[in-house]
Amino acid sequence: MLVAPGQGGARIVSLNRAAQQAGLAAGDLLSNARSKVLDLEVGDADPAADAAALSRLALWCLRYTPTVAPWDEAGGADGLFLDITGCAHLLGGEEALLTDLERRLRAFGLDPRLAVADTAGAAWAVAHCGAPTDRIVPPGGEREALRRLPLAALRLSTDSQALLRRLGLRRIGELADRPRAPFAARFSPEVLLRLDQALGRAPEPLVPVAPPPLYRAQAAFLEPILSAEHVLEAATRLLGRLARDLAEADAGARVLRLLLFRVDGGVQSLDIGLAAPSRDPAHIAQLLGLRLYRLGSGLEADFGFEAAAVHVLAAEPLAGRQDRLGLDGEGTPPEALACLIDRLQQRLGAGAVRRLQPRASHIPERAVRAAPPSPHAFLSRRSRRGGVAEREHAAWVDGAAASRPLLMLPRPEPAEVVALIPDGPPRQFRWRGVLHQVAQAEGPERIAPEWWRAMEEATRDYYVVEDDAGRRFWLYRAGLYGRDAAPPRWFVHGVLA
Amino acid sequence: MRIACNPRAGAGSSPPRAATPSAPALPCSLPERPLSWQGVGEEGGGSLPKAARLAALREALARLGALAPGEGLRHIPLGLPQVEAYLPGPGLACGVLHEVAAGHGDRPAAFGFLLALTATALRARPGPAVLVATTRALADFGEPYGHGLAQLGLDLGRLLLVAARNDRDALWAMEEALRSGAAAAVAGAMTGSPDLTAGRRLNLAAAPHATPLLLLRPAGTAGVSAAASRWRIAAAPAARDRFGAFAHPRWCVVLERCRNGRSGEWLIEWNHVAHRFRLVESVADRAPARRPGLRRAG
Repeated sequence: MLVAPGQGGARIVSLNRAAQQAGLAAGDLLSNARSKVLDLEVGDADPAADAAALSRLALWCLRYTPTVAPWDEAGGADGLFLDITGCAHLLGGEEALLTDLERRLRAFGLDPRLAVADTAGAAWAVAHCGAPTDRIVPPGGEREALRRLPLAALRLSTDSQALLRRLGLRRIGELADRPRAPFAARFSPEVLLRLDQALGRAPEPLVPVAPPPLYRAQAAFLEPILSAEHVLEAATRLLGRLARDLAEADAGARVLRLLLFRVDGGVQSLDIGLAAPSRDPAHIAQLLGLRLYRLGSGLEADFGFEAAAVHVLAAEPLAGRQDRLGLDGEGTPPEALACLIDRLQQRLGAGAVRRLQPRASHIPERAVRAAPPSPHAFLSRRSRRGGVAEREHAAWVDGAAASRPLLMLPRPEPAEVVALIPDGPPRQFRWRGVLHQVAQAEGPERIAPEWWRAMEEATRDYYVVEDDAGRRFWLYRAGLYGRDAAPPRWFVHGVLA
Repeated sequence: MRIACNPRAGAGSSPPRAATPSAPALPCSLPERPLSWQGVGEEGGGSLPKAARLAALREALARLGALAPGEGLRHIPLGLPQVEAYLPGPGLACGVLHEVAAGHGDRPAAFGFLLALTATALRARPGPAVLVATTRALADFGEPYGHGLAQLGLDLGRLLLVAARNDRDALWAMEEALRSGAAAAVAGAMTGSPDLTAGRRLNLAAAPHATPLLLLRPAGTAGVSAAASRWRIAAAPAARDRFGAFAHPRWCVVLERCRNGRSGEWLIEWNHVAHRFRLVESVADRAPARRPGLRRAG
């Protein structure tokens, strides 16, 4: 049994059948239990690990249906709701689905109790308190099925249950047959709400563990597959099926998720993002291949994958395009560019491909921003219309009147500079151990920090210096003589062509 | 394969154009039955043998294919007749690899030269320029800075920066960009030098769309290379305007090796406003240039 600290000492949280038969119950004090039964195996309850295991099991159950909701605290936090509307026929019916699920769960070492009903409340009730033989409630038959079940099957609070028991009500049928008004007046609204949810008169929203996808395709394998090539082959077939669905809806996928279900119950998922909507199976399969290549040894197959599913999480409208004769490859330039960006991002990482955007700041290191690339922004200058592109171009052109370096160091490096005090340009400087004699210096350009940062940062005087070999550097002096307490220091911030 | 009915594309009706290095390879799966192709042989077939008809078809397609890659830019114009006299064509040929080497301290200057060539290529072709850089190649001197690139004359709305972890990834990225045909120009900066196989792959990838391809590598690392021309850049004192301030960057450019060309050495200046090179002096014609004496700062 598992114990956790509680009022008065350690209390039993959960126990197995043998302990139940010996007369113990959850909530008993451990010391009392030890006095009743001599040899007890006691372990510490670990609710965090339990929750993690439950969420892993919930992910694994995604192979049956995309909507899987773990129970919250009120439901006991030890089970799942699976919404199998429209999924049962794929496995041959509800009974077959239950049998398959039970077989697999028992193979994991769990002892499941399953039930199928029209409403979540009825399913919970039948699973907990119903007989194992009639665990499938026929559509519309909740009232009959719940009639003989005890009130605890309605997930009521203990106070309400105690009060109802004192009033002499023991079965759900008794509660359902009586008029509602006296209950509404005397009890908390939860009682009637739970009853209505179980009978289907009130809605009960489920919070799925993963957002349900817009489109999905799924396949199970006869033999578990181990290698990346086989995974890619299976994914390509699933993508072909998805392409048909997407084509019917005139949509293209932007975010896809590949789910691989392992034999031992684990789930591995890979997310692919696209720069432009696409439903081309070859292109997406190529991206998946690059992603799997980047995973390398990260694709933990263990004993193999027994099922795979592809979910489309985000889709955008994509009108059909008539294929033109004579064009090979990806067709029009924006599409070719989008495919190129996708491939580069999959192989090199999402942040590896970027474009530069100006930012409205006079501080040099904050004046440029790296932005994710968008294929439509890269049209030729001649065909660009006004708006964002023109404003951006104008911002680059009058961004800085003075010289700016071609390559800028991410962190300015200190240099030892010989210069005339208080504000003469550098005469010679030593940077990274190399001494440079300055042939010509241009400047200073004074850049002061923003007034809200004036306390931490110092005013900078930038100089473009050229040494006798013709190399040009961008130096600055941080701080001013006479004004700041500490003597100013010199830094190299970048190099010019 | 683009098929068009062109009555003028008959066999022998016009002299075939000289095969350019970037003519696409024709597919080998031409149909076996005689084509009822207007202009290639007589209607109904029979007078010309099949082989001759195929040859005429190939020649017609080659002519059509020569017009295929978009804007028809075959060379990056340098605008310097004295330099272009040493090259096989009126500028740097598109669709082949050109290598730019520099010593460690001159790496920023070589990068500037590379970007100047890229800016010239961008003006003539649609699409973005793809700049692939291995992380350590430029990391000694920092990251490309937007305003500096704009001051060199590059249109930043058309620049795509790709960061690769190592040279292998950088070569792969360049090949992908070339193969997709969506790039106006592809420039790369690597820490080592591509070997013969990698260079040939890049050439093959650049050929179909005749994309300008430039590569920056450290000096002294290459042995045999598949590049069409090898340049070596060193920094030179910048041009001054009449007030004594820096006006235009200048580089000491050495053409070390060129296929079907000669080697030479020049001092070149880049005008970022007019996007034009200007020849300052031709070093090979004089004694080695003397550096101007140390001038007082200020």
